[in-house]
Amino acid sequence: MNDAIHPLARKAVIWHLAVTALVLILMMIFGVIMLMNQGEMISITPQWFYKIMTAHGTGMVGIAALGGTAILWYFLSKYVKLNPAILIVNFVLFLTGVTMVLIAIFVFDFSDGWTFLYPLPAQSAKMYGAAGAVFFLSGMLILGIGFLLLYMYLAARLTAVYGGIGKALGWDIIFRGKKGYGPPAAVVATAMVIITNSTALLAGATVLAASLVNIMNPAITIDPLLAKHLTYAFGHIFANCTIYMAVIAVYEVLSEYTKRPWKANKVFLIAWNCSTLFTLMIYTHHLLMDFAVPKWMLIIGQVFSYANGLPVMVVTAYGALMIVYRSRMKWDFASSLFFLSMFGWVAGAIPAIIDATIVVNHVMHNTKWVPGHFHTYMGMGVVAMIIGFMYYFNKTEGNQQHRGIDTFTITLYFAFFTGLVGSFLYAGGISAPRRWAEHLPQWVLSDQVGAVSGIFIVLAAIIFTARFFAGLRSVGTKVPYHKKSAAG
Amino acid sequence: MYQLIAMYATVFFVFLLALAFAFVYGESKRSGEYSAIQEKGYKIRKFYFLGLIAIMAFATIMTLGRLPYDRNQAEAEGFSETKVVKVTGIQYAWEMSEERFEVGDTVQFDVTASDVTHGFGLYNEKMELVAQTQAMPEYTNTVYYTFEEPGTYQILCLEYCSTGHHVMVKKIVVEPEGGSSDE
Ligand SMILES: [Cu+2]
Repeated sequence: MNDAIHPLARKAVIWHLAVTALVLILMMIFGVIMLMNQGEMISITPQWFYKIMTAHGTGMVGIAALGGTAILWYFLSKYVKLNPAILIVNFVLFLTGVTMVLIAIFVFDFSDGWTFLYPLPAQSAKMYGAAGAVFFLSGMLILGIGFLLLYMYLAARLTAVYGGIGKALGWDIIFRGKKGYGPPAAVVATAMVIITNSTALLAGATVLAASLVNIMNPAITIDPLLAKHLTYAFGHIFANCTIYMAVIAVYEVLSEYTKRPWKANKVFLIAWNCSTLFTLMIYTHHLLMDFAVPKWMLIIGQVFSYANGLPVMVVTAYGALMIVYRSRMKWDFASSLFFLSMFGWVAGAIPAIIDATIVVNHVMHNTKWVPGHFHTYMGMGVVAMIIGFMYYFNKTEGNQQHRGIDTFTITLYFAFFTGLVGSFLYAGGISAPRRWAEHLPQWVLSDQVGAVSGIFIVLAAIIFTARFFAGLRSVGTKVPYHKKSAAG
Repeated sequence: MYQLIAMYATVFFVFLLALAFAFVYGESKRSGEYSAIQEKGYKIRKFYFLGLIAIMAFATIMTLGRLPYDRNQAEAEGFSETKVVKVTGIQYAWEMSEERFEVGDTVQFDVTASDVTHGFGLYNEKMELVAQTQAMPEYTNTVYYTFEEPGTYQILCLEYCSTGHHVMVKKIVVEPEGGSSDE
């Protein structure tokens, strides 16, 4: 058990995970409803389809960030003393923001997607009333402020303990030739996420506030292309960072299970610094079809999107393979999911990198290929890491045991997730557009395959969640805070 | 064509990846000394890294020369002179300055929008996406396409633009070369 974590923070981690698990199931059901509608198995109005789509997109990214935060806080506590109040403040602001977003969607019919491209929210505010857009944009703003406060606090803590964000990223080892290892992986990852996500949140806050101002006073406008840059600098980086938070669990748990240290050597540090830089730059691949963007910027979008795959493929995923190789590791729920999540991450990067090629993007941008690739790395990567952590948490803080049903659920989840993303990628390959409430006959079969896969994924998620809540009952019965015991 | 390449390349690389993971899973049941594994692993990684760089560099060089919005490129490939067509997206329709084309026409689509951002997606008769660009207010994005086959083409909105997004479709007809009698 993690003795270093404050008991209150441990409780807050449980709330994070519980909310994540429940919202995850609901969002998955939303996903299945959309696929069933496209696959002509049920029929809902387009208005409802797009409301559900907005909720699904916003909700999934939000809960991935929430689950990632719980992982980050839990493991970082081992190395840096943290004040649980900040985690709780973020949680409260998150719930407030989410409630406002839900009110916007389900009470005031807001359905402009979680990418809310300017001037769309202002345009629909004119048609459906301003309340929906205002609730949505301010909800997102409040949620963002919660995360920004959290990162500011973490930045201050890392500066106090490690002498700066640069040192936490191992700059003295990379640039000053300092010998030895850098800070623990959890610290390196936290430093990366502080830099990238603070940038993302500031970009987001700018475009959210500007959109709000524009709705209140239409005379004050924004440049639509600049707004799109800001929206994607926010959305892409923020969604991307969920995996950089969640991966901390992989480093910690795999090295614990294999009894092999996963130390931050120079190559590791260089890789994380590259990821920091590239994650900030590559959102431009969302604008590859905006030819008004300067050509050099689009070429950056392609070249650095390629390059951003390298740190993951060469250092993190490869490191996971190396640490597991001939380790006689015990395969249980947590280790299996963390191992598979590394596969999911890289497997999702492959179609992403291919789509970042301008000539390919030209005929695949905004087709179902795009949700195909991000569902791979979100569902089989980030979410797998979060679910793996839920089990690990119960096992370490309580006495959860791996059972036969867990092996079954993991198989169920990954097999049908492969079916789901396969159906998406195939649909993208035959040019089915993304975000269409209704589909042409030639696309319907792929939607049906996706919908059926989705139903089994929901089933797996329900079993995972039931197991998680059952396991929670034994949490906290072990040893009190600050008292080591032989049973540890 | 690019769609097919993308699909096959994805299946191929994901398959290789799955093999690597399956192999390591199989080997995880044996035990070995980690420092020796690391030493060998780092050696292999060097080649693996260089291999990935080589593949990416090759793909970059092969593809960056064929940017879809390059005017010089379009003129070099076009057989006849370029037809300029103004396209405006508006919730939920496409307005075009010209709607009739012939096989062999190289068309310069100047695409913009008058309300919110839309996506200009040109589909051929087989419903394959053959060209696209964003339709954004205050900006004009130019995309070129040379019609090589006759048939009914469609323009689909590919950027979510509110609740009528999926009905924003326009049909255009491309006649065989010299096929229409009234010109
Ligand atoms: Cu549209």
